[in-house]
Amino acid sequence: MIEARELTKRYGDTVAVDGVDFSVQKGEVVGFLGPNAAGKTTTMRMLTGFIPPTNGTATIADYDIFENPLEARRRIGYLPETPPLYPEMTVSSYLAFIARIKDIPRRARREHIDRAVERCGLTSVRRRVIGTLSKGFRQRVGLAQAIVHEPPVLILDEPTVGLDPLQIHEIRSLIRDLAAPGKGDTQQTVILSTHILAEVEAICRRVILINQGRKVVDAPIEDLTRNGQSLEELFVRETASDAVAKREASDGGAREATP
Amino acid sequence: MKHVANIAGRELRSLFVSPVAYGVLSLFSVLAGTFFILNVAWFNDMLIRMQQFQAFDQLARMNLNDQLIGEFYGSMSVVLLFLIPGITMGLFASEKSNGTDELLLTSPLTAWDIVLGKLLGGGLFVAILVGIVGLFPGLLFFYGDPELGRTLTGLLGLLLVGWVYVAIGAFASSVTRSQIIAFLISLVMLLVVLLLPAVADLGVATGAPWIGEFFRYLSANAHFEQLMHGLVETGDLAYFAVMIVTFALLTKASVESSRWR
Repeated sequence: MIEARELTKRYGDTVAVDGVDFSVQKGEVVGFLGPNAAGKTTTMRMLTGFIPPTNGTATIADYDIFENPLEARRRIGYLPETPPLYPEMTVSSYLAFIARIKDIPRRARREHIDRAVERCGLTSVRRRVIGTLSKGFRQRVGLAQAIVHEPPVLILDEPTVGLDPLQIHEIRSLIRDLAAPGKGDTQQTVILSTHILAEVEAICRRVILINQGRKVVDAPIEDLTRNGQSLEELFVRETASDAVAKREASDGGAREATP
Repeated sequence: MKHVANIAGRELRSLFVSPVAYGVLSLFSVLAGTFFILNVAWFNDMLIRMQQFQAFDQLARMNLNDQLIGEFYGSMSVVLLFLIPGITMGLFASEKSNGTDELLLTSPLTAWDIVLGKLLGGGLFVAILVGIVGLFPGLLFFYGDPELGRTLTGLLGLLLVGWVYVAIGAFASSVTRSQIIAFLISLVMLLVVLLLPAVADLGVATGAPWIGEFFRYLSANAHFEQLMHGLVETGDLAYFAVMIVTFALLTKASVESSRWR
């Protein structure tokens, strides 16, 4: 469903993402891990077509993001780091606008919106103005925006940040539902980035770990934890040792330092 | 380009759910009424004076279209010059500060959908303002006999001037994420357009008349006046089209360039 080939993004001399390759099969839920400034958001922005890669390309459901940008974008639901909301609109008029710009046919819009509202637990705030909603509700409106057109691919940038434990639990089970087949739903492929390792263990079957713009780990979770190590140990070892090796290799300081 | 109406509709809806649109509309109506009353009073005063001085040849030249409606439209074009940057400043800048540009640019929309939708939204709001302006000369038809054709072509001129201002304001809004900076950039650009006739006069003085002609062509004023005189010529309409298209192209380039930064 998602195929990234040699994705690279350079800003002047700084390399934000350095030749990242991966492919994600239909129905997989992949956790995208990495320290701050590792290039997670940049990679996601390249996949969604918000910024073009300097090198490399990607395909979404077999549509190349360069050659068929509109077809590729039609198949993506994207929740950016900050939910893209119009504070002056009501939840239902906002979702109606999203339904239109995501090319949902006129007759199916009502039904799609109702489903998204229900799945994200927004029924009680449908008529409220987004600007007056709490952070948790805003995050859920952002998620509703990403799933309203029932895209085959979901790209979620830190979907549970700033939520309380109960809300985190709800969002996680929603994401699990999205990827689970059956019930006549479209089975969705999900990439989500997060800092919370427990979250990855709770919902993802596979982990891609990137550090300083490079992919360092790409494996199913059970393979990684088979020999008794925790994800946390892996994370610390991979990001730390790699950082040391890099610093030695590139006589230090040129790259943005990663804590 | 099928999403132009969706973008424009959302823009207008956002304007009308906040009190800003109503504030602008009522303030604008009050201003228009004030200018209109002042113009009527001045016109009346001139008529009385000319009768007192028995300047009948001058009196014969006074008419409602030139000395009243034209003046009124001219004043309102200056009011629009200050008001339109306030309307257009948020078109693109607020999308960037809200983070909703990320939504629009990752949706199946083309850059033209976004740019033309924004221009249409701003253009329709300005059309409402020009409609308010049109109500006042309408009153004159009950008490006098202005020429209908010239009254309407003048109003068309005002609308086209407003649309040029919207195109310039939209461009200014697309280059920054701060609405205040967008407002200032468009105000400065519009003031330059307003001052072009004066620059044109300087050009004549330097002995290079083509420079003067060029600047005069660039200024909206000369073309606006032609329309107020009832002259609907292709050349003048082409000017408005060229200005709007040029700034629409610049805006599209600016929106697309944000992907490459």
